[in-house]
Amino acid sequence: MASRRDAPAGPAPVVVASGLTRLYAVSEREAGLAAALRSVLRRSVRQVRAVDGVTFEVGPGEIVGFLGPNGAGKTTTLKMLAGLLHPTEGRAEVLGHAPAERRPEFLRQITLVTGQRSQLQWDIPAADSFELHRAVYRIPPARYRRILADLDAMLDLGPLLGKPVRNLSLGERMKCEVAAALLHEPRVLFLDEPTLGLDVVAQRRIRSFLADYNRRTGATILLTSHYMADVQALCRRVIVIHHGRLLFDGLLEALAGRLLPHKVIVVQPSDPAADLRPYGEVTERAPGEVTLRVPRAAAPAVAARILAEVAVDDVSILDPPIEDVVEQIFSAGRAPESGAGLRP
Amino acid sequence: MIEALRLFAAFVRVAVHREVAYRANLVAQTVQSVVGLGTALGGLAVVFAHTATLAGWPPSELVALVGVFQMVGGAIGFAIQPAMQRLMEEVRTGALDFTLLQPADSQVLVSVREVSVYRLTDVALGAALLGAALARLGARLGPGRIAAFTLALAAGGAVVYAVWLALATCAFWWVRVDNVLVIFETLYDAGRWPVSIYPGWLRGALTFLIPVALATSVPVEALTGALRGRTLALAAVVAAAALVLSRLLWRAGLRAYSGASG
Repeated sequence: MASRRDAPAGPAPVVVASGLTRLYAVSEREAGLAAALRSVLRRSVRQVRAVDGVTFEVGPGEIVGFLGPNGAGKTTTLKMLAGLLHPTEGRAEVLGHAPAERRPEFLRQITLVTGQRSQLQWDIPAADSFELHRAVYRIPPARYRRILADLDAMLDLGPLLGKPVRNLSLGERMKCEVAAALLHEPRVLFLDEPTLGLDVVAQRRIRSFLADYNRRTGATILLTSHYMADVQALCRRVIVIHHGRLLFDGLLEALAGRLLPHKVIVVQPSDPAADLRPYGEVTERAPGEVTLRVPRAAAPAVAARILAEVAVDDVSILDPPIEDVVEQIFSAGRAPESGAGLRP
Repeated sequence: MIEALRLFAAFVRVAVHREVAYRANLVAQTVQSVVGLGTALGGLAVVFAHTATLAGWPPSELVALVGVFQMVGGAIGFAIQPAMQRLMEEVRTGALDFTLLQPADSQVLVSVREVSVYRLTDVALGAALLGAALARLGARLGPGRIAAFTLALAAGGAVVYAVWLALATCAFWWVRVDNVLVIFETLYDAGRWPVSIYPGWLRGALTFLIPVALATSVPVEALTGALRGRTLALAAVVAAAALVLSRLLWRAGLRAYSGASG
C-alpha cells in the first residue's frame, strides 16, 4: 500500500482505518403530495455506501489532507475517526482507542473543528464558552491560563473574547472556534473545512496557525478542505476519496502524476506565429508562450519532435497544476477512468 | 452525581454572568410570576366562595399546593426546560456532535448546560407562599414531615426530569418534537389542583403516566401529614424506575443518532 510506504517508518500510527465502511439508509420519495402521503405508510429505503472499504494509517505529527468532491465520504470518514459514527464494517483506531466507544480518556485527546457548525454559543462571549470548556475538560487553572496566553499570542484573540460571539465576523469567530477546540491541548485534530467561507487573509492566518501548532506540539492533523491552498500549505500527504473509495494516498506532488493521464508541455517558439496544434491540444496561448496537453507516455517523444521540427527558445515538460487534478476529481462523474488501477 | 453538580455550578455561574446584563428580563419575569400567582390564588378564592373544602382539601392546604406548584414549575423552567429545548435544537442542527465529543457523561452534560436564571423568581415566590400557607395552617412540622416532604419533592422532581428527558430524546427519531413538550406543559397545569378532584382514569394518568401529581399533590400531603408511608415509598420507586427508563431511552437515542447523522 502506498500509505505504508509513504508514512514515516518506526513510530506506531496514531490513526488507523482498516476497511472502514459506512452505509446510510436513505429514505426516498418522489416530490409531490401524493408521494408524501404514500411515504407515510411505506417508505422506500435505499442503502448508500458513503465510505467503502477505506484503509490508511497516519503517523504521529503528520498533517494529512483529505480531497474529494462533495459527498465523497470525507466528512463521514472524519466522523467515524472522531467517534461520532459507528463504522458499519471495518475498523477505526485512534490513539489506540476504538473512537465510537467515546471513552473520556480518548475524547480528552482529540478535537473536531468544522467550518459549518459552531461549538461556541452565540449569545455569550467566547471567554464564557472557554470557561465552560475548562470546566468540562477539568483543565487546572494555571495550565488553562498558560494555554490561553499561548493561543492569544498566536491568534491575537484578546479583543475578541469579551464580545458576544454573534457580534464577531466570520474570520474572528473562526479564530475563537479553533482556540476553543485546542484549549485541552488535543493530540489529534480533525478539521472539516476549517477555512470555509473565510477571506484570503483569514484563511492564511488559520493556516499558518495550524502549521505552527503542528510544529510546536507535534499534534497529528487530519484536514478536509475545498481550498487547494489549504492543502498545499499544510499537507505533504493527501488522501483522495471519491464515491466513498480511496483513490489515492501519497505525497501531494505525486498526485498529478498518478491521477491525470496527461502532461503539459510549455513551448516558447522563436516565431510567435508558429503553429503547434499538430503536436497536441493547445490549452493556453500567451504572448511568446504556448501550452500543450499531451498524453503522459508520449510527452518525451512529442517534446523531441518539437525541438527537431520547430525553432524554439525553450521547451519544458511539466505535471499539470494541482488545481487541474483536483478539478478533474471534483467534477463528479468524470473521475479518472482508470481509477481502480491507480491504487498501487 | 458530584460531577453533575460541579458542571451544573459552572453553567449556572456563566448564565448568571450573562443574565445580569439583561435586568429588564428580571422585571418582566417577576411581573409574570406575580400575575401567575395572583390568577391561581384568585381561582382558589372563587372556588372557596362556594365550598369550604375541595375534595377534602381546606383553603390553606390548597394555597400550599399552589406554592409547591409554583416552585416546581419554576424549577422546571429554571433548569430542565431550557436544557431540553437546547438538546432538541442541537439534534436538529447537528450541533450535538460537539457535546458528544466532550469527555463527560453526555446525559449529564445535556441536562445541566442551559439554565434560565430568572425563573428562580417563581421558586422564591412559591416558597414564600408555601411558608405563609403553612404558618396559617399552624401545621406542626416535625423533622419527619420535613424529611417526607423533601423526599417527595425530590422524587417528584426526578420523575418530571425523566419525563422531559424522555420526551426530548424522541427528537433522535422524530427530529421535531416541540409539540410533544406542549402536551407536558398542559398536563403539568393540571397539577395546580389536588389530584383527587379528577376522575379516576385521569388521576391514574396524572400519577403514573405523566406523574404530575407526584411533584405537587404528594409533597403537600407530606407536609400536612395526609401522606401515607406506602404512597411515599411508591413515589420513590416510581422515581427510580423513571430515571432508569429515561437513561435507557437516552442510550438508545444516542445509538440512533450516531446511526443516522450525516
